[in-house]
Parts: sequence; structure tokens; C-alpha cells
Amino acid sequence: MKSPKTTLVIALAILLAALVFIFFRSGGREVILKSGDAAAASAGDKTTQPKAKPTKKVTLFFVRSSDGLLAPEEREIAASDSLIQETEEFIAEIIKGPTGELGAALPAETKLGRIYITRNGTAYVDFSRELADKHPSGTTAELSTIYAVVDGLAYNFKSIKKVFLLVDGEERETLAGHIGLDRAFLPDYSRIAKN
Amino acid sequence: MKNARRPLLALAVLAALAAATAPAAFSASAPTTTPTAHPASLPDQKTIVIDPGHGGLDVGAKGKFGNVEKTVTLAISQKLKALIEQNMAYRVLLTRDKDIDISLENRSALANNNDAVLFISIHANGSFRPATGAETFYMSLTDLDEETRKLAYLENNSSQLEKRIADEAKDDVKMILWDMAQAAYIKQSARLAEAIQGELPALLTMEGRPSRSLTVENRGIKQARFKVLTGVACPAVLVEVAFMSNPEEEQKLINGAFQTNVAQAIYRGLVSYMKSIGPPPPPPSPSPAP
Repeated sequence: MKSPKTTLVIALAILLAALVFIFFRSGGREVILKSGDAAAASAGDKTTQPKAKPTKKVTLFFVRSSDGLLAPEEREIAASDSLIQETEEFIAEIIKGPTGELGAALPAETKLGRIYITRNGTAYVDFSRELADKHPSGTTAELSTIYAVVDGLAYNFKSIKKVFLLVDGEERETLAGHIGLDRAFLPDYSRIAKN
Repeated sequence: MKNARRPLLALAVLAALAAATAPAAFSASAPTTTPTAHPASLPDQKTIVIDPGHGGLDVGAKGKFGNVEKTVTLAISQKLKALIEQNMAYRVLLTRDKDIDISLENRSALANNNDAVLFISIHANGSFRPATGAETFYMSLTDLDEETRKLAYLENNSSQLEKRIADEAKDDVKMILWDMAQAAYIKQSARLAEAIQGELPALLTMEGRPSRSLTVENRGIKQARFKVLTGVACPAVLVEVAFMSNPEEEQKLINGAFQTNVAQAIYRGLVSYMKSIGPPPPPPSPSPAP
């Protein structure tokens, strides 16, 4: 007969193994479910309508050469019932950059983290650290980045009143030593060129 | 649900951060330590703080030819310091006099700890696109919440601010005021910005004739939420001299004659601001040091 201590250890080991199994299984199932959904959705599209996806017209702001101010470029993004999803699409387009003559407003290496929108209309937009690390620095460049996001979101999504920029999940002092990021920004359309 | 909890978590983190940084800003402003050792001053001599942007690991904006903002801002600041000390009865402190890292908070604290009457931050601009020109900024209050704006509205004058702090027992009110000290000086800061920006285009003439290589375009005065200006308890501006990100202006920025020109323009702006706010300071003491 083994000691009670050994039995306890074995019991704990089994419990741990079970937990590990559940942990990995449940995680895996989530992924499978998601991709299954997507597959089902696209299959449904093919059978019913070949070009079903509704789109939403948005105005993106990029940097104009002559004076460094922001200027508009129109584009279509996939429409969605979820505000979060539409804003994610929107920010992804800002990061992708302009297609015409205008210049990018964010470092190309930037990745979007998550977006949270509070009930009173403050959007928290989290970017990867490249937003700051790869930033060209300079007041005008920082203002371009900040207001391309802030004015862009407020202009296209009426329920968004203020925008708080986060970097790598956290509040940051500035992008590169100039504009304070410690408060939410109200849109400021004076940053946009009036042609 | 994981998704639902995330915003709350983010908010909690933000609240914690705000709570952690507010007292830090306050204690940084306490009149105990100063980052820069300053020369002995005369009893009634007033102080102007000049802040050469960036420094150390933080090089600031970078030019195509490899020049960096931190070097240029220091050179212009030193020229401006010399001009003021030669011609006015002010003591001038630089937030840094060599190539070192100084936090934005300590830059503002140096001004507050020395009861500075003016704070001038010198920068060279950078943009994603080749923009040109000089502009002078002062603090923007548009993003402040209602409560802070009300406090700022009191009167744009420091004695009122001090009185208000003394009257209010509540620590958080003090915090708000110190955190946003610049709000109380916004009118004077706007005037200072106008006075300086008014002189920068005067660079257009060197010895009576326009000199393209020593001048920059006028982008005017603007407001933005500069971290370094937020806590400064005196009139404060940030001058963007020219664009380091523009190769043509980069060449100007590293030119000693251009730097002198800029320092002189800022100096003239400063003098005209001083004239506009009242009686001139007492005449310079018989030259204190060679």
C-alpha cells in the first residue's frame, strides 16, 4: 500500500493533466468554430448571391504634401452590424495607407490591437508598439497620426465622440515626445485641409 | 465573457495609471530638486527657462542627411540664452546643456521650481511628407473635461491660482491644477506665441535683402496638446523652427548663421512680448560675469 501522500500527488497529477487537456481542447474548439463559421458563411454566399457583401463608404484622412495637413480619400469598407468590426476595418484601411497622391499618416509597420467603445462614445484604440517605435517624430507627424485616427473615426462613425489612443495595450505619454496621449481627443477638423 | 471584460480592464488600468501619474507630476513640481544646476542669481532676478527639445537616446526628428533634431535645438537654445543674458536682466536656465535624456515632466518642473516667468521650448519639426516652414505652438485646452476647464477659467493669473490652491483643501483639486497648470496662463501664452511667430517671418530679410538660404515660410501660430507645456505654471510656447524632415530645411537647420538668425528672431519676439505686458525689468546689473 502506498502512502497517502503519494496518492495525493497522483490525484493532483491526474487533475492537472485533465485541466491541461480541457484547456487545449476548449481553445482549439474555439478556433475550429470560428473558421467553420467563416467557411459556412462563404459557402452560403456562393450558393445564394455571387457578390452579396454590403459595403459602407468612408472618408479616410491622409497627409497632403504641400503643407502636411490631412486631406480626404474616399473608400469602401465591408459593412457590418457591429460597430467594433466596422471601426476595425476602418483603422485597417488607414494603416494600409493611401492609394493616390497623399502620404501615409501612420507607420506602415503598425498593427491594430483591439478597439473598445464605451457607452458614452469614447473609443479606445489600441495599436502595436510600432506606432510609436517606427514613428518619424516631429510635431506635425504626430498630429497627422493622431488626427487621422481621431477625426477619421468621429467623422465616419457618429456615435464616436472622443478617441483615446493606446500603444501596446497601455496608455503612453507621447508617440515621440510631443503631443500628450494621456487624455481622450475630441475631433479637431481644423487639422484637415480646406483646399 | 472575455470580450466584455476587456474594456473594463483597460479602464481600470487607465484609472490606475492616472492615479499613479498625478501625484508624480505634483511631487515633481515641489520646490526641492532641479535637474540642472543653476548659476547664482541676484535676489530679484527673474528666470526664463529655455527647453532644447529631445536629447540623449531621444534624437527627435531625423533628416535625410543624418542630422538630428536634438543637436539643432541645443545649438539654437544656447544662442538664445546668450542673447537674453547679454541684453536683459533675466537669468536663463536650459533644461539641458548637453546631449542627455530629460523627461518631459522634469523639463516643466525646472520652470516651476525656479518660478520661471517664461518657458520656451525649441524644436525642429518632422512630418510624413516634405512640409516646410516655421510655426509657434501654445497649449490647446479643447480636450479638457468641463471641470478642469472651469478651474482654468478662474482668471489667467498666477496669484489667483495660488490663492485658489490655498483655499481648496482637497488634494485632487490641487492635482488637477498642477497637472494642467498651463491652463491658467493660456492667454499670455497665446500672446507670447504671436509675438515670437511675428518675428520668425522677419527672417525674410537679412541685412535688408531677402536671403532664401536663411529663411523659412510662416505657418502661423497653432494650438496643440503638448505634454511638455501642460504642467508649466507660466506663459509657455513651443517653437518649431523648420522641418528636419525636409532636406532643404535640414541644410538650413545645421547652418550656424541660420541658427543665430532664429535665436535673434525669438529674442525679438520675447522683447516685444515683455514690452506688451508692462514695465520693463530693472536695468541689467553692472555686468555680473564676463
